[in-house]
Amino acid sequence: MNITLLLYGLLNVLFVLFASPLFISLIKKVKAYAQKRKGPPLLQTYYNLAKLMKKETIYSENASWIMRITPLVNIAALLVASLFVPLIVIPQPTDLVGNVILFLYLLALAKFFMALSGLDAGSTFGGMGSSREMAISALIEPVIIVVFAALAFAFKTINIPDMFREALTSNVLVNPVLILISTSIFIVIIVESSRVPVDNPETHLELTMIHEAMILEQSGKNLAMMELSNAMKQLLLMGILINILFPWGLTTEFTATSILISVGAFLIKAVIVAVIIGLFESSCAKSRLFRLPGLFGLALFLSIVTLIIEVFA
Amino acid sequence: MPSLQFSFLIDRLSAFFILLVSVVSVAVAIYSVHYVEHGTHDGRKNLIVSFMNIFIASMVLVIASSTMFSFLFFWEIMALSSFLLVMTDFEKKETGKAGMFYFVMTQLSTVFLLFAFLFIYNATGTFDIQQIRASPLVTSVAFVFLFVGFGIKAGIIPFHKWLPYAHPASPSNISALMSGVMIKVAVYGLVRFVLLMPMELWWGILILVAGTVSAILGVIYALKEHDIKRLLAYHSIENIGIILIGFGLYVIFALSGLQAVATLALIGALFHTLNHAIFKSLLFMTSGSLVNATETRNIEDMGGLIKRMPYTALLFLVGAVSISALPPFNGFVSELMIFQAFFQSAFLGNPALEMLLIASLAVFALTSALAAACFVKAFGITFLALPRSEEAKKAKESPKLMLIGPAILASLCVALGVFSFQIFGILGFSFPIPNMLLIGSLLTGLFVFAWLGLRTTAMKKERIAETWGCGITSQNSKMEYTASGFSEPIVTILKSIFRTQKKSERTYFDNEKVIFKSGKAEIHLMKFFEERLYLPVANFVRKVSLIVNNLQRGDVDLHVAYAFATIVVFLLIIWWFA
Amino acid sequence: MIIAPFQSIAQILIVLILAAAAIIIVKRDISSLVKTYAAQSLLLSLMAALLFVETGSIPLLFLAIIIFVSKTIIIPTFMTHILKKLNIKRDVEFHFLSPMKSLFASVIIIVFVYVSFSRLLAELNFFNSSLFFLGATIGISIVFMGMIVIFTRKQTITNVVGYLTMENGVVLFSLFLTELPLLVEVLIAVDLIMITLLATILAFGIDSTIEEFHNRLNPFQNTRKLSTNETSHDDFLRVQSFLENPNKEDK
Repeated sequence: MNITLLLYGLLNVLFVLFASPLFISLIKKVKAYAQKRKGPPLLQTYYNLAKLMKKETIYSENASWIMRITPLVNIAALLVASLFVPLIVIPQPTDLVGNVILFLYLLALAKFFMALSGLDAGSTFGGMGSSREMAISALIEPVIIVVFAALAFAFKTINIPDMFREALTSNVLVNPVLILISTSIFIVIIVESSRVPVDNPETHLELTMIHEAMILEQSGKNLAMMELSNAMKQLLLMGILINILFPWGLTTEFTATSILISVGAFLIKAVIVAVIIGLFESSCAKSRLFRLPGLFGLALFLSIVTLIIEVFA
Repeated sequence: MPSLQFSFLIDRLSAFFILLVSVVSVAVAIYSVHYVEHGTHDGRKNLIVSFMNIFIASMVLVIASSTMFSFLFFWEIMALSSFLLVMTDFEKKETGKAGMFYFVMTQLSTVFLLFAFLFIYNATGTFDIQQIRASPLVTSVAFVFLFVGFGIKAGIIPFHKWLPYAHPASPSNISALMSGVMIKVAVYGLVRFVLLMPMELWWGILILVAGTVSAILGVIYALKEHDIKRLLAYHSIENIGIILIGFGLYVIFALSGLQAVATLALIGALFHTLNHAIFKSLLFMTSGSLVNATETRNIEDMGGLIKRMPYTALLFLVGAVSISALPPFNGFVSELMIFQAFFQSAFLGNPALEMLLIASLAVFALTSALAAACFVKAFGITFLALPRSEEAKKAKESPKLMLIGPAILASLCVALGVFSFQIFGILGFSFPIPNMLLIGSLLTGLFVFAWLGLRTTAMKKERIAETWGCGITSQNSKMEYTASGFSEPIVTILKSIFRTQKKSERTYFDNEKVIFKSGKAEIHLMKFFEERLYLPVANFVRKVSLIVNNLQRGDVDLHVAYAFATIVVFLLIIWWFA
Repeated sequence: MIIAPFQSIAQILIVLILAAAAIIIVKRDISSLVKTYAAQSLLLSLMAALLFVETGSIPLLFLAIIIFVSKTIIIPTFMTHILKKLNIKRDVEFHFLSPMKSLFASVIIIVFVYVSFSRLLAELNFFNSSLFFLGATIGISIVFMGMIVIFTRKQTITNVVGYLTMENGVVLFSLFLTELPLLVEVLIAVDLIMITLLATILAFGIDSTIEEFHNRLNPFQNTRKLSTNETSHDDFLRVQSFLENPNKEDK
């Protein structure tokens, strides 16, 4: 492990950690504008996290140590996962980080403990959230794997940084397969960051909530960790979408100017994607839980067709 | 006869499987000391222990056998001793049924193997297993017989039905051995013979498809199961499916000339065999402790055990995380290897085959995600929240040896996962798999870092309070989410596979069906394989045997008449041919 | 002749057309079915236009214009108009296959068509590039998917969308396969047939449905019940008497 790799890791993790809450509030802002409201200030998520850190933590008397370790497992898994998706600088080729399956399963590790903590307090809502979340994540899993298999076919590698490097160096302006894959990744982002039409992040209504129900019993610093890791997950998935489809501005060199340009370019692209997500969310209604398999089926169909085209053409 | 001899040969493959048997057996033996002591099997304790040792020895000898004769001999000993162990609680009606089911299935497996071995003997002229390699005459017929024979023992769907019957019926240490080790012996047999035989592509496809079907159906059936041991039994079916997927990929890639990927798939499958042996025995042993403590196998009657049995809970959690294939535990590494092999399928150069692999990949992904969902249910409902019954309230932690046995396996789960890269390096394989030592230490490091960070920066004040129960004054276990409630979304979504029929009858006061008078709702769960496959076959056999029975009435005159008729027939035949 | 950007755009268009067919299989609400059909036809006309730009043959341009005018403007407007009159909003019933199963069936069909085509036509050298092969395969698959729509859906109007999808598949197939002047002729003929068929079926539909509509408006004046969903006066009285005196046994 050399020094640039260490530097890359530090830079990437810190960037993900500090930039991710911005996009949560940005999407809220876009949705507010779509509803002719003013919406929260752009830094609201940071304020929320800071406020939560100052609040006392309340545990249920039924809860066990699962409840206490879940926020830490979540944040640790997401911090490791953020090593896998270079957002600013692509590191030297390495086998140490970047395996796409490991990345997906780190997210699954976080989700597993989150679902357990939903059951831990013995409340009626938590279990409901865990049950729905596990059902949905199980059904979207084939889509995710097929999408990433399609990516692996397209770039001939299973290493995420290598995929980005390929995307950066290839001189084809728009690869048709990539556009199709991006559509599927977009659906995956919507599902994984629990957004409309799958879940509604704004409400605490028992009919609609999935993700929020699971973390209902978390409070104080633990809730802050859960929300932060959720924001990080969203930014990482957005980062995959952005850097595969529009890798422009991404750099492979560790110089101050190129890093600054890269940060600026990434922020602009991410803002665009966040606006699209916000508009998409505003344009559709929350669909019934048992209608979701139809949506996922469509996503799976699309990704399998993408693979068919890759294999056949 | 010179060829009917016992002889043994241990090469790398059999050494690997003997290691697997031994490791698990040591842990189970330690566990059994207190388990048998505290169990309810008075007067049969000695029998359990002695048969258990015969059982373990026979498994080792099957693996070490170098002739088909000794293979089959010890295979039978293994079947018989395990049958006797399943029948430990023979007074229970349920156990009797399970035992008979198991006995019939396991003998069926032996019959198929016998046919296969006779075929191979016919082709090679010797019972020596290694001689198969030399003979090109061994054909697909032998493969099909071997596949069915080993498939029954391994519990491949549709031959899986004995597993969910036999495991709940037998004592937990025996379930741990049977599910952890015995079905792996069948995997060993399949791998051993197929590697020696001249492979054909459709074998690989058959193994892959059978594996995929077993994996997905196994986990889907596990999801709706609330008997903890039956749930684990269905997960064994699922994991055997995953192992076969890896092995099928090996055959397909090896015949397509992609040797590196083929090796990755084969080693992945074998590594998953070891991992499954370890974490499944761990889970069976801890579930045995649970059953002893709560006197029930139904997880709906457990709950809150994490406070009453903290160590058992931790051990079960390690097993659950491993079987759900989460990093950095061992189950993840082997599934990762199979996934990576799948991701190479674009290089096969045969579009139809590639599409098959992609479909199988999608199903495989669904399987592993559903397994995680199932173990969230199994752990969450069993250990978390409030106890759901009086027995669960009174549950106590298991005695020391019942914790040490599983603890050995739990630490192996962690070690095999974290040091996987180094282990493969020592064994001389260099696969492009991530270094889990790095990931594991990063995870731990960041976990500690986050903990310290929160301790120093965040508000320290903590408070214990009651869970908010929508205004109810005191929360009780009736308010918790149940296991059936937990799996309900998935069961509803996959209802065409479960073949549930929701019947509801309603009567109304008016013709327009507006004012409801009374109603009745039923949910029927169809046991598809039992009703559509096993029972028809059994009925057919019964009909045939009734006919045969009619011929044989025990009447001496009749038998003399049969003898007379037979002689006449023979005379006619001789006359015809001469 | 064929350069990379053309091929990429063509592939994207083909897949989007296929995705539109998949949406038609899944969607339950009829107005979005019609919109999806319009979008599919628009993509098809873009495909024709793209082929025109690439090859420069005038009939393709005509074809693009015809598809655009007839299928993205006339037929969808006509159908929306009729939908308003019919007062049907959604078609939620499926026979034989659920939408998910239909999608899986379509994937299998695509692979099947591909494999059989590659066996059947590879020797004949029909296709000068893999793109044309792909287009033809997807075209035939869309025909099958249209058939799936027809036999899984119950309502006439969705069946019509199924027929139209099938026809789009035929057009896609012929774009990549047949000689051009012939193609235009055939297409116009087919379109005419389709439009007449549409008109007849829909007219029939209006007649039968408007009658029903009348009955629904005046349920209490009818002595005979037309369907179980409508309330008749007798039942109304019976319910009323029950509500007044629930203990008295209903005669």
